[in-house]
Amino acid sequence: MLRALGRSVARSQQLGLLAVLFVLGTALTLAAGTHTDPLSGRTVNDFLNAHTLIQMATDASAFAIMGVGATIVIISGGIDLSVGAVFALSGVVMAMVLRAAGPMGPAATVALGLSACLAVALLCGLANGLMVIGLGVHPFIITLGTMWILRGVAFVISHAESILVPAALTSVAKASMGMGTALYPVPLLVMVTTTVAGMFYLTRTVMGRHIFAVGGNAEASRFSGLNVGRITLGVFVLSALMAGVAAFLGAAFYGSATSSDANGYELYVIASAVVGGASLTGGKGSAVSAMLGALLIVMIRQAIRTLHLDQNYEWIIIGGAMIVAVVLDQGGTKLLARRIARAGSAGPSKSNPQASVVES
Amino acid sequence: MRTLRGMMTVAGLSVLAACGGGKQESGAAASGGKTFTIALIAKSSTNPVFLSGKQGAEAAAAELSKSEGVTVTIDWLTPPNEDGTVQAQRIAQAVDGGANAILLSASDAGKVLGAVNAAVDRGVPVMTFDSDVADSKRFSFYGGDDAAMGRQVMDELATQMGGKGKIAIFGGNQNAPNLQKRVNGVKEAAKKYPGMTIVNAFYHAETPQDAAAEVLRVMNAYPDVNGYAMIGGWALFTQTLLTDLNPAKVKIVSIDALPAQLAYVDKGLAPVLFAQPTYSWGYVSVKTIFDHVYKKQDVPAHVQMDLVRVSRDNLGAWARQLKDWGFTDVDPKFLALPK
Repeated sequence: MLRALGRSVARSQQLGLLAVLFVLGTALTLAAGTHTDPLSGRTVNDFLNAHTLIQMATDASAFAIMGVGATIVIISGGIDLSVGAVFALSGVVMAMVLRAAGPMGPAATVALGLSACLAVALLCGLANGLMVIGLGVHPFIITLGTMWILRGVAFVISHAESILVPAALTSVAKASMGMGTALYPVPLLVMVTTTVAGMFYLTRTVMGRHIFAVGGNAEASRFSGLNVGRITLGVFVLSALMAGVAAFLGAAFYGSATSSDANGYELYVIASAVVGGASLTGGKGSAVSAMLGALLIVMIRQAIRTLHLDQNYEWIIIGGAMIVAVVLDQGGTKLLARRIARAGSAGPSKSNPQASVVES
Repeated sequence: MRTLRGMMTVAGLSVLAACGGGKQESGAAASGGKTFTIALIAKSSTNPVFLSGKQGAEAAAAELSKSEGVTVTIDWLTPPNEDGTVQAQRIAQAVDGGANAILLSASDAGKVLGAVNAAVDRGVPVMTFDSDVADSKRFSFYGGDDAAMGRQVMDELATQMGGKGKIAIFGGNQNAPNLQKRVNGVKEAAKKYPGMTIVNAFYHAETPQDAAAEVLRVMNAYPDVNGYAMIGGWALFTQTLLTDLNPAKVKIVSIDALPAQLAYVDKGLAPVLFAQPTYSWGYVSVKTIFDHVYKKQDVPAHVQMDLVRVSRDNLGAWARQLKDWGFTDVDPKFLALPK
């Protein structure tokens, strides 16, 4: 049994990414310089210090939270390019609602802000899903359109103003939780919580399994009696809600919301999901891997800072890493398919090839 | 397969690490008080005016390194695109990485306010230039009076147009507080000229191509507009408007006068440009930071920056000034002008 567990862990989708993060982190710690903390006077490693690690998690949190939603859409065989715009619109509406509401108690402020964010996100997700189902147009086109529409709406209603949010929100997002000065673990905790919830949803619920089934073969799923339209609507709503959560966290943490927030994030979010092993053809992906993919992207960005490399190479490096990861992933999938085919020709199949590559 | 992917990625990143030159020290104390690092976070690394500011910062750092017996380095952390959130992240990264001070031009004051205050709270002083974060704990700001700049542009345009005609305002990024003030300055000054009408203020991404495209769209949509008030000179970094606009019909007055823009003065399309000494953004600010943070001297909370009026009368002198500041792309024909 232990051997089986060991084999399962060794084959798991996340292990490779975790190993990469660990080795890269170790390499950066060794290669990084040191500096003296101005307040404590202690010598600190430029990479391996609590502030940098928490900051990396904070930077990754928006990509990772939205990456969980994007992964769910990608597993279903779709794509959602509108998450950055949903982020911007949710944040702007929340800031405007809170400004209009005026001073309130901290709990009421947070509740109203979060409700506003999630309500806008829900409407955006419903719009995306209903158009994809009702118009029969590929989600790429629909969400490309809504990406511009929603950002345009955010721009118009906010007059491109940067709207400050009440301090109560910032106090929540920047709660130190006993960790010390200028250490803010809330984005990290939200990221982990969202990822765990996504993992549970995908692997432990019937709805999650249905999403894999639809992504694996929509026609077969339909003939099996699944309501593909309802499942498609659900994944777009979830994706948008994740963007709403990220928007609330982002606006609360940075203290303001503008129509230009999260501009271009959709590409980082999709990259996180894909680097994490999600297949753009559907039927494969993992919430945990999406989070690890986001952390890897942010760590590569951090490496550029820590090693004092020319930051203009950032896009080249991230783009190159993503292509390498996906090409290797495709190669691995083909190899696995060949092995299964060989095993199938040698005798009765013991495993479902699709099931072997889904969430682990 | 996962292992293979991991190995490939790590191999690539190891090469990256090797390219980085391996272990190095940063921060003053790490090298016995002989190194002083300033993180420079401008709005966009694709905007030539900030590259000019970077040149000025590096020149000041080189001078200080020679004269003060301390190695002053500039850590260029400017995002490729304008993004207040990324700027806030880079402020935190600069502090985490051991910067001794931060020099910032804010894309979105509201978005970076918390990060600036957090940096100061953690013992890293922050100075702003070009676009301020006035409500923050930054110790000084180097820049002009943006509303006055806008008024200056409008007054000059009125002079060039004889006090009558229709004008369009080109405003860059609508989120940037300094640009908003300049646009308001133009509108405020326009009230003095009853013969002049503002058709609208037009906003665009602060890249040369986006700005030029917006000018062309406005030109087609408003053929009767004959004056362009540009509160930033992004569109004039392209050459397309030199042929697409008729100097007999249209007059431009713009802020900024960098080498690529001087042809517009020469042709008469932009009879007057108001140059921001963008090189000084870096040069003056780095010296101010050094005086305040390293030498513990008092500095003013606002270091005033004045615009330089550039016209055909002083085109040669201004071109030579740009060359002296390190610009390598100044057209030799302007350098050869007598004044």
